[in-house]
Amino acid sequence: METPSPAEIESAAHTTPTRLADGRPPAFTPLDPRVVSLWRLDNAVGYGILLLLSGAGAFFLGRAIGPVAWPWLAVAWGALALWSAFMTMRHPTLAYAASGYLLEERVLLIRRGVWWQTIQFLPLSRLQHVDLNRGPFERRYGLASLVLHTAGTHAASLQIPGLDADEAVRLRDQLVATGAGGDDAV
Amino acid sequence: MPSDEPAAAALHGRLHPATLIFTVVGLVRSTFFPLVIALLAGRRVAWYLWAILGFAGLSLLWSVARYFTFTYSIAGGELVIRHGLIGKQERHIPLARVQDVRLEQGVAHRVFGVVKVDIETAGGSGAEASLSVLSVAEADRLRQAIFAQVPGEAADGDADIPALATAAAAPSVLRRSRGEGETLWHVPLKDLVLAGLTANHLGTVMAVLFGGFALVDDLIPEESEKQFYRAAARLLSRGLAQAGAAPWVVIGVAIAAGLASAAVFSVAGSILLYFGFRLGRDGEDLHRGYGLLTRRASRLPRRRIQVLKIEEEFLRRLLGLATLRADTAGGAATAASQQDGGAHGGRDVLVPVLPRASVPALLPQFFPDLEPEPETWRRVSPRAVRREALPGVWLSLFLSAGLTAVLWNVERLVPAGIGLPSLWWGALPLLLVPVSFVSSVLSYRHLGYALGARYFRTRRGALSRAEHIVPLRNVQAVILRQTPFDRRQRLARLQIDSAGQVYTGGGPQIEHLPVAEAIALARTLAREAERQRYRWDR
Repeated sequence: METPSPAEIESAAHTTPTRLADGRPPAFTPLDPRVVSLWRLDNAVGYGILLLLSGAGAFFLGRAIGPVAWPWLAVAWGALALWSAFMTMRHPTLAYAASGYLLEERVLLIRRGVWWQTIQFLPLSRLQHVDLNRGPFERRYGLASLVLHTAGTHAASLQIPGLDADEAVRLRDQLVATGAGGDDAV
Repeated sequence: MPSDEPAAAALHGRLHPATLIFTVVGLVRSTFFPLVIALLAGRRVAWYLWAILGFAGLSLLWSVARYFTFTYSIAGGELVIRHGLIGKQERHIPLARVQDVRLEQGVAHRVFGVVKVDIETAGGSGAEASLSVLSVAEADRLRQAIFAQVPGEAADGDADIPALATAAAAPSVLRRSRGEGETLWHVPLKDLVLAGLTANHLGTVMAVLFGGFALVDDLIPEESEKQFYRAAARLLSRGLAQAGAAPWVVIGVAIAAGLASAAVFSVAGSILLYFGFRLGRDGEDLHRGYGLLTRRASRLPRRRIQVLKIEEEFLRRLLGLATLRADTAGGAATAASQQDGGAHGGRDVLVPVLPRASVPALLPQFFPDLEPEPETWRRVSPRAVRREALPGVWLSLFLSAGLTAVLWNVERLVPAGIGLPSLWWGALPLLLVPVSFVSSVLSYRHLGYALGARYFRTRRGALSRAEHIVPLRNVQAVILRQTPFDRRQRLARLQIDSAGQVYTGGGPQIEHLPVAEAIALARTLAREAERQRYRWDR
């Protein structure tokens, strides 16, 4: 371990404001537009099943309680149906607009979240390994997703969904090559 | 990693014969109560009796077979553990992966001069070995053999520290009077008493349970413990019922007695767990030794400290005391914390209690290239005050409106002549407004960060305070978050992810940064982290 001289420590210590990189919003690369259709399909299936199950549940609950319960159950189920419609039709476009990734000087930025927004900054030398996933729905749209694993605790795996299948392979190879370029292959 | 040194010669050993005694005692303990119950129940459940005896016999057979076949050896840079009569098991642990060799010596262990040895490794899910039990001398021999072959920090250019020689010269780790390396900190009894008195309640309960169980566990079987607690609860409820006339007095006395006994237990727990706590350093290794009845010793290479936390709980802060905690990289840490249900037997602390003023002088022992304490901390956006106070304001307005409405309705419904609280009581929740403003101002004033060349520090807290120090080389990822409320105020929260954030309560994070500054800071942290090396296993 190199021991820095006192002068070096003095000069390097806590020059916070000047040392900060610029704070301009990053120019993210958007995901593949086909991911909107994929998410619509995902949500249609997921919320469809939820609506069916909750509809059946409401039906039996209503029969058990009696006619008093019907309007309430109808309102609750209607609200759920409206939410499902929103999540299926509108949310995927919003999520698409809010997602992206960007490689900035050996640091990968991943952005996501419609209301609760997150940007993850991943120094590529911290990359432990990369998974490339292609689910059945993703294959239908010619898409793939990457899962990046680090040794961290909360962000131990970061996801980039909705990449073109060929682009996913290319990006994976690029990330792994860049990450391994560092001197600390773990 | 085989070494050329002669000390690398293979070490070969077996468990101490006392293992058999502990095995039998453990077996008797676990079968005693089921057996008593079965005998009391009489002939009707004879099969139950036979099942217990059969089970006990089988496990005795298994344990004896395990003892006689159990061998361990060090060769070729690996610790190899073999056991099994029919199905042979072999576990290879590369010495370079060994994070920590922890020794634990309970009261019963001391009678036989033996010790339980746990070997922790980095990463992986529980590639952990437990040698229970070895003689103290043998445990020392094993420890030294392991550390003599761990390449240590020599790879870092610290070739002038002869890791081999210091390891070989190290005396028994449990003989704390002689100790290992240079003593960095010794916790005096007075501080332990204060720590016990000021412990927060959850921590108190944990410490007491852990300290108490260490003793009780050695003497009493589990079933009878449960019975004891049930009986105590029954006695308590009956006593309350019989006291009759003055329940308030009874409750008051009970609370006072409860608090007093909690304080006594808390102090006793603190002393039991941490008595004679000594932190030492030997080259790159930190050593901890502590415990009154059950003695514990462990070694932690300082490079493996991922995040360091200086914790000042409110009561301790009033006394000028702090606690030092550290996270280390290791899957075992996670497993261990889940195992003990949160009580880590003190494994999570670097120093359980010490004067806050002594901390800065101690920090370079953990981080040798640490920059001096910042004179000024970079503050977050002043909009933080509004952002933090607003929820409290809304809550108090809501409560106030609700309370007023209730009072008004009650006044309408209840006939006149009955003494009713005035409508003004509805304004009572408005007192929350100044409270929430004061608290958000206080927390704003202490919230800050400092970015050095190699370390990032954050500090936070109004009444209870915490400071986190993370070496940039340990940053795994930087995460920016914005809630809808944050976006209205153009603020963001920055969080640092590092390995093994188990003991420091989530690691460093700082909220209420202006968005542009947050992005700039995250970029800088990630780039610096990329530039500085992270090393997983040493």
